[in-house]
Amino acid sequence: MTALPEISPPLINASGILSYPEVFRAFEASGAALGGYVTKSVGPAEKMGNENPVVVCPEVEGQPLLNSLALPTQSPEDWETDLAETRLENARLIVSIYGGDSAEFGEVAARMSPFADIIEVNLGCPNKVPGEVTLMESIGQRPDLSGEVIGRVRGATKKPVIAKLSPNSDYLAVAAACMDAGADGLGCGNTLGPGLAIDTGTGKAILAGVTGGISGPALKPVNLRMTYECYARFGCPIIGYGGIESWEDAVEYALAGACLLGIGTAFLGKSTSEAAGLTRRIWEGVQAYLGGAPFSELVGRAHREPAPESARA
Amino acid sequence: MRESVRVIRNLVESPWTNTLFFDREIACEPGQFMMVWLPRLGEKPFTLSYPNGITVKRAGAFTDALTALEPGDTLGLRGPLGRGYPPLERPALIGGGVGIAELRLLALRSESPTFILGGRTAEEILYFDEFQSLGPVKVATEDGSLGEKGLITDLLPVDAGSYAVCGPERMMVACRSVLPDDRTYYAIERYMKCAVGLCGQCTCSGLRVCVDGPIFQGAKLEHMPDFGRRRRSKSGRWEKI
Repeated sequence: MTALPEISPPLINASGILSYPEVFRAFEASGAALGGYVTKSVGPAEKMGNENPVVVCPEVEGQPLLNSLALPTQSPEDWETDLAETRLENARLIVSIYGGDSAEFGEVAARMSPFADIIEVNLGCPNKVPGEVTLMESIGQRPDLSGEVIGRVRGATKKPVIAKLSPNSDYLAVAAACMDAGADGLGCGNTLGPGLAIDTGTGKAILAGVTGGISGPALKPVNLRMTYECYARFGCPIIGYGGIESWEDAVEYALAGACLLGIGTAFLGKSTSEAAGLTRRIWEGVQAYLGGAPFSELVGRAHREPAPESARA
Repeated sequence: MRESVRVIRNLVESPWTNTLFFDREIACEPGQFMMVWLPRLGEKPFTLSYPNGITVKRAGAFTDALTALEPGDTLGLRGPLGRGYPPLERPALIGGGVGIAELRLLALRSESPTFILGGRTAEEILYFDEFQSLGPVKVATEDGSLGEKGLITDLLPVDAGSYAVCGPERMMVACRSVLPDDRTYYAIERYMKCAVGLCGQCTCSGLRVCVDGPIFQGAKLEHMPDFGRRRRSKSGRWEKI
């Protein structure tokens, strides 16, 4: 396994959130406590994604967010131009990639590799454009296809490779296939579902893509469990994603086994300075909890402390 | 906040522009926007021109359908979103084309506004009579059918305590060259998807127009070289402005 580069603070954004290098620079300039930034998922060809509406926002705090962007992307050529111009001050760049089959994953990985400190392989986006024929849904469900994808990506880059799993799968089996195929770590995980929201006024599904991946607080216990189980089984580097809004959420994921923590939905409605402030508050809270100990001591500690047998994977 | 509203009136403002009035007023600050949803056709950002209305120029399938709505029809609203104008003292409100619509609520809530309006023809100059009742109005049209024949920038600079500029981005760039950055506010438009700061689609030099704007002080544009230059398309590809 290739070790992940040091990312400090161990906070990043989630893929599909903030998305573009110039936004990352604006966050850096605002003093965000993000040690790394993840691009939107880069695909094999330009794609528009779903028509609007692509989100259903929470109406009250604690409700989930639904999104169905369905992986819009500029072409890999345009991403190359964009990323070649990108100069982050201190933060690392993680490039998220997707493809329709393993060959496309490999091709995109090879093209993005020169710009990336880490390649994150999106195996589990639950969204698609209605009528679209794609293997994306099934790849993340099937250990054999996921292993094949990671094998191709592994062959295309020397950079660390993270397999980002779907909670809507037998993820331990998928993760095992990915680790066997050469993944250096796991992303736990993508959005849940997809789910549905209907507008009572018009009587119609709100999302143009009809269904959308579920994120926010509702996702946290699901992906926290995935983090916990994957750490117990593989003991590998894990990026925890899903409902991280406070330092307590971040600490929970770290205790479960995440060495990197991804923030997404918590940025909803926040200006750059407000979002940067949130990341600093989360990191300060984590540091206060550590009381001077290194962050690495926190990672996976829930497994080392006595824990009820039933909580183990 | 999401809600469904019913259209109570569809007012023809010009051959290309209609104002749709809803059965409900929305509390918002001038400069904030709403995402307007028509099932199966899409969802796009509009600024309220009335507490219960939007003024829409036809520019494609979505706005064709929107301006064809009749009383009793339903549409979805999400918002208000974004940051509006700060309190403006003795403002000159500078609007080009349908950008004039953005300035109406601001005008009603401002002390001693003056108006500088521009368009291709007289028909593009929205709310002319109403604005005249609120303060001095200067107009430039490209064909000379109302006010001076020429461009809006021909009417600038003017003396005012502050300035709010809304219109095509190239027009705003031209205005910016003669207006004081510390007292002028610009309304930036970008293709929006989530409109709540998550997806990054509406970036202008890294600031997300939906949450950091859409109203930006001129001084801020000094650090936003993409203003007037480029924007991200629906796929994220750069396109020139």
